[in-house]
Parts: sequence; structure tokens; C-alpha cells
Amino acid sequence: MMARRTKKPSPINEANIRYVDYKDERFLSRFISDNGKILPARLSGVDARHQRQLAAAIKKARYLALLPYTRGQQG
Amino acid sequence: MTRQYETVYIFDSALDDQVIAEKLTKFHAMLNPEGEVTLDHWGRRQLAYKIGRRDAGYYVVARFACDPALLPEFERALKLDDAVVRYLVSIHEHELGAPPMTEEQLAAARAAAEEDEEDDE
Repeated sequence: MMARRTKKPSPINEANIRYVDYKDERFLSRFISDNGKILPARLSGVDARHQRQLAAAIKKARYLALLPYTRGQQG
Repeated sequence: MTRQYETVYIFDSALDDQVIAEKLTKFHAMLNPEGEVTLDHWGRRQLAYKIGRRDAGYYVVARFACDPALLPEFERALKLDDAVVRYLVSIHEHELGAPPMTEEQLAAARAAAEEDEEDDE
């Protein structure tokens, strides 16, 4: 059986980041969709450990109004 | 026993810088912090969404070590203070994988991130 897709290298390991910082909203914004949703790891290629850290960091950043909960909607 | 904490405050952006500095000193005095409180003033910035009627806030990041038993009282004071729009207290310890992010490190990380983005295009 042929593999349907090859595994992407994790962008977080590539950026050489050990700890996902909830205050770095420019970095986190690479992992949210146009609507503000957290991108699934299958799209972003993030490994499971960092995906968990990312999810927590994005949620903290949202609470602090660094990232939107939603975007691209009226009102 | 003390632990390392990091607190992000969002103050009302209409307040004077001096008033904010005074409030911070007052809050941190409650904690009896061990060693110094490192303050990082981000200043006024746009909120990603409106909080009530506000669309901007004055951000301050503080790092300190203190006794966890003092935190509930500290958080209560923050909650009751109208000048504080929002706050987040979190543990900031190296064994949990949180290195201190200096301005240079952040700048370097950003530069690296930008290079990445360019590569993608």
C-alpha cells in the first residue's frame, strides 16, 4: 500500500521553539484559520505534543484579546 | 515555598501611565515577592475583540516568585479593581519548559518566523 501523503516536518520543531508562548500572537496566528479556529495538526503538520501546547496557548491568547475568538463575521 | 509566576494585566487604556505604575506597585506589595518583580510594559495596544466598550488596553507582563497561599487574595484585589480589564496569572517555571523570553529572543524568533513565511511563498 502506498502512503497517501508523506508526513510534513513539524513547523514548530523547525522554528526551534521549545516552549509555545501564549504571548507571541504573531507566531500563534500562523496556526489559526481565517475564521480564527485552531488549525488541525493534519493541516499544519504540527506534532501531537506541540499541538496540545499550541491549543492551550491559543486559548490563553484569546482570553487576553491577543487573538480573536472568531473573525470574518459581521458584528 | 515559593513558585515562579507570570501575570499579564490588561488595564483600562484611558488611565495615566503613572496611575498604572502605582496600581502595579500596590498589587505586587500584596504578594511579598521573593526577589525582584520583572515588569514588561507592552503599553497600549488594540484588543483582538471588544471587551465591553473597550477596543484597546494597556498591557503589562509581570514575573515574580511568591508564596502560592497569597495568590487568592491578590486575584481578588485584581477582580475588584475596575482599572483592570483582564488579568491572567500563570505558572512560569523552567522545569515546565518555559524559558525566560528576552526581547532579543522574541525578536530573533520573529525574524526566524518571517524567514519561514518567505520560504513558503
